[in-house]
Amino acid sequence: MILVQLVADGLLLGAVYALLSSGLTLIWGMMNVVNFAHGDFVMLAMYIAFVAVTFLHVGPAVFVPLAALMLFGLGVGVYFALIRHVMRGPMLAQILSTFGLGILLRYMVFWVFSANFVSLPNRMAGGVLAIAGLRLQDSRLLAGLMALLLTVGLHLMLTRTAFGSRLLAVAEDRTAAMLVGIRPDAMQALAWGIGAACAGVAGALIALFFYISPLVGDSLVLIAFVTVCLGGFGSIPGALVAGLAIGVIESLSAWFIGAAWQDVVVFALFLLALWLRPQGLMGKA
Amino acid sequence: MKTRVPLVLLGLAALGLPFVLHEVYYQRVAALVVLAAISASAWNLVGGYAGQVSVGHAMFFGSGAYGALLAYTVLGWPPIAGAPFGIAAALLLAVVVGLPTFRLQGHYFSMATIAAAELIAIAVGNWKLVGGAAGLMGPAAPRSIADLSFRSPLPYYYIFLLVLTILLLITARIERSRLGFYLRAIRGGERAARSLGVPAVRTKLAALLVSAGFTALAGSLYAVMIGFVDPESGLGLLVSVQMVIIAALGGAGTLWGPLIGAATLIPLEETTNAFFGGSGTGATFVVYGAIIVLISRFLPGGIAELWQLVRSRRRLRAA
Amino acid sequence: MTLSRRTVLVAPALALPAILRVSAAHAAAAVRIGAIFPLTGAMASAGDAIRSGVELLVDLINTANPNLAPIPLMATAGLPRLGGAKVEIVFADGQNSPAVAQSDALRLITQQHVVALTGAYQSGNTLTASAVSERYGIPFVNGESVATNLTTRGYKWFFRTTPIGPDIAKLYLDFLASVQKSGMKTSKIALVHDTSEYGVSVADTIKKAAAERKTPVALDVAYTNGTSDVSAQVLKLKQAAPDAAIFISYTSDAILFMKTMHVQNYKPPILIGDDSGFSDPSFITTVGSLAQGVLDRSAFVPGKPGSNAAKINALYKKKTGRELDDTTARSMTGLLVLCDAINRAGSTKPDAIRAALGATDLMPAQLFIGYKGIKFNAQGQNILASALMVQLDGTEYQAVWPSDQASAKLVLPFKGWT
Repeated sequence: MILVQLVADGLLLGAVYALLSSGLTLIWGMMNVVNFAHGDFVMLAMYIAFVAVTFLHVGPAVFVPLAALMLFGLGVGVYFALIRHVMRGPMLAQILSTFGLGILLRYMVFWVFSANFVSLPNRMAGGVLAIAGLRLQDSRLLAGLMALLLTVGLHLMLTRTAFGSRLLAVAEDRTAAMLVGIRPDAMQALAWGIGAACAGVAGALIALFFYISPLVGDSLVLIAFVTVCLGGFGSIPGALVAGLAIGVIESLSAWFIGAAWQDVVVFALFLLALWLRPQGLMGKA
Repeated sequence: MKTRVPLVLLGLAALGLPFVLHEVYYQRVAALVVLAAISASAWNLVGGYAGQVSVGHAMFFGSGAYGALLAYTVLGWPPIAGAPFGIAAALLLAVVVGLPTFRLQGHYFSMATIAAAELIAIAVGNWKLVGGAAGLMGPAAPRSIADLSFRSPLPYYYIFLLVLTILLLITARIERSRLGFYLRAIRGGERAARSLGVPAVRTKLAALLVSAGFTALAGSLYAVMIGFVDPESGLGLLVSVQMVIIAALGGAGTLWGPLIGAATLIPLEETTNAFFGGSGTGATFVVYGAIIVLISRFLPGGIAELWQLVRSRRRLRAA
Repeated sequence: MTLSRRTVLVAPALALPAILRVSAAHAAAAVRIGAIFPLTGAMASAGDAIRSGVELLVDLINTANPNLAPIPLMATAGLPRLGGAKVEIVFADGQNSPAVAQSDALRLITQQHVVALTGAYQSGNTLTASAVSERYGIPFVNGESVATNLTTRGYKWFFRTTPIGPDIAKLYLDFLASVQKSGMKTSKIALVHDTSEYGVSVADTIKKAAAERKTPVALDVAYTNGTSDVSAQVLKLKQAAPDAAIFISYTSDAILFMKTMHVQNYKPPILIGDDSGFSDPSFITTVGSLAQGVLDRSAFVPGKPGSNAAKINALYKKKTGRELDDTTARSMTGLLVLCDAINRAGSTKPDAIRAALGATDLMPAQLFIGYKGIKFNAQGQNILASALMVQLDGTEYQAVWPSDQASAKLVLPFKGWT
């Protein structure tokens, strides 16, 4: 019975990782840019949720779309102000710029809200679904469901829509795409916007059951990077599978080996997987 | 011969700097600049010249730092005598982690190095024998001159400067050697380089070994000066990231880039901390983050690019 | 060319602190004390609370507050033995880095010319910062770092007022033994701790002390600080069903544990938090409603109206809108002891301050914290440091044990949420 609960908890945690990495995969895969500020995008969304709940007294039905919308704007803005200029530079310039951006965002929030931990009212985390001896929190189930929806949605968007093919075309060959009349800047700005909006959805949902602080992105996002990489560069279904796998591995290793070693297990398995399959689980060689 | 003149001037300036900087605190900042320049220059061999962006160099830095302080706590030796152990451990790690990881490309390589370094950091934190989470302490009071425990930062400054000079000489040698060409070829495109007969893995490993050795030495020197290391300060992600940031800020893949980066970033860190740190607003990092963003936005190739800009403009004017 | 470029790069760094010094120079008569705390980074939430407390204490010292009279330096404005000189605090941010804290100490001593230092919260930061003050012969009073080795280095200039590991372990075991006498089982103890220096050192001392009393710790759950999920850890507790669970956790994890125990509907009969995370005011604002009846190790309780502690707490609340927490109160006490020693020394000469610190002998009535007094041994450790058990009721912790210091009745088992 414990084992079932552990796996269920692991899957729900994995869904959080998948949720966190959805936007990251898009940006990473489509533009070959690692957004080191992704965790801080998520953190911003958590504060948007906090402010919306505290001052406007609204629920998730309002603050999740609100966070998505605001982060979309931020993503597009960041693209035009910064990313567009560093994208064609060396990979190091991208690391430098998004890392700097992350610090900047984090400490601007720090300045306004101070370092104190806050949290949404506990009632917002919703009830607990108790079935067959399992105890699952509503808000976590909601997050899991959204992770699934986002993954499917992004995947369909990339593979089934004209927008997706244009985006892929730009990712494949910028010049060629321009020749057939695609405006790469517009495409990539949209991709950044959507990627950031995913971070917005993720942050707003995670805020329901997690604590909020200016540095919260740090603790959440490192595993999300591993998730994206393990799933395979730019593979959106891959990130979901990898996220769920990592969640279950963490949960089981915390039980059987000890929580102090769970990240060691994850990193070791990750390295092993990469050495065996250098392009990630579902990435193209 | 003409190019030697600025070099000699730079050397003299570095040697004479402490005579201009009378305040001990500035002397310490100068020593920290040189120390950071050592590890960033060492990182530059792999991350800059070969274009293999490692974000796991903390594992080598930590090897050096732990080697030094383990020699003191376990054997009672002066910490610096542990540096060879630290360097040996780093070389071993470089082979064990490097060989399989070098198959990976681009971001996969970066992520794998992060994972390897984090894995080691957590393992060391859980391992009581090497100090665990509490870390290791150097001699509380110097027992002899060999403990290299000085009140003044100047001895550190000159020791660090010596090491940096050696490293820069080696780097300059490599730059002009066949290894240097191979490395740049790999950065330009590994597949193409291979097809031209560049032994990619052997080349990258050679660069990594030199890089890891010097990074470990930097770690030992850090431990000797600070007198303390724990998993976070010796092996943490930020240790790796700082090397990357400094090299990238100054100009990765150039001889002077890491030094320029260190001479910019370390005083920037210290100044913002001195100025805003006490305010408790986090302004330190707002300024710090903003400056990094601005530099990357306007000088994507690092500050060294300014130099090239100036030079090319001058050439234009001359033409 | 080369020279000038180098100068350009370094020059701003050199000029800025110089400007700072000029602006501070006008307050020449003031006694300057350096305070290093983590004001950014992962520990900033604690550092921020301490900073407010330090500011409050210095305000109280610098103005006349006869209503706080039993506390040294409160009745008069400034330091009377130094002609009413004001105390001026120069804050520095040690971040989460021992190297930065060390730089801070050097800067404060050589540039800001502070006469003494206090701080630096994380034991690693305190260790490296105090190494500098030792070399310069400047007194360093620490009020909150618990690593045992800080006072075993043979340092002449380092003093510590806070209780440390062995004191803490004794408190818990004595408390549990006394609860057992009242008829509730307490022999099966579980420890939950993070793998930070703090978590491991406190857990190890408790394990050792428990083994010596022939009641070895039954379950030891270690996890990494800043983890994103603690479900498995809570399940472990739930399955082992200990009589008492002791949590040694920082704020973020403490919050997460309460939320997760709520989801898993698990309540240990006795839930003890070891200060830090559970004392953080944001613990109460975020999960206080899930943690009713949680016990916490603390040296500070506001206590009865009219007591020193209640008055200081009211002032702190007025300034910040939050309750004064234990860690902040301990840091403030460290600074109070330092200022008192400087005053008694009647001089800002390091040797005089050190001698005065060594001769410190404060009574409980002179403090606003629950120590049995302040008196340093040869190593600089306060031998009268102690702590008590407090229990969360509503949004406030009340002292519940030992009974002679209790302000409320101990209520068991742990109630949690309703």
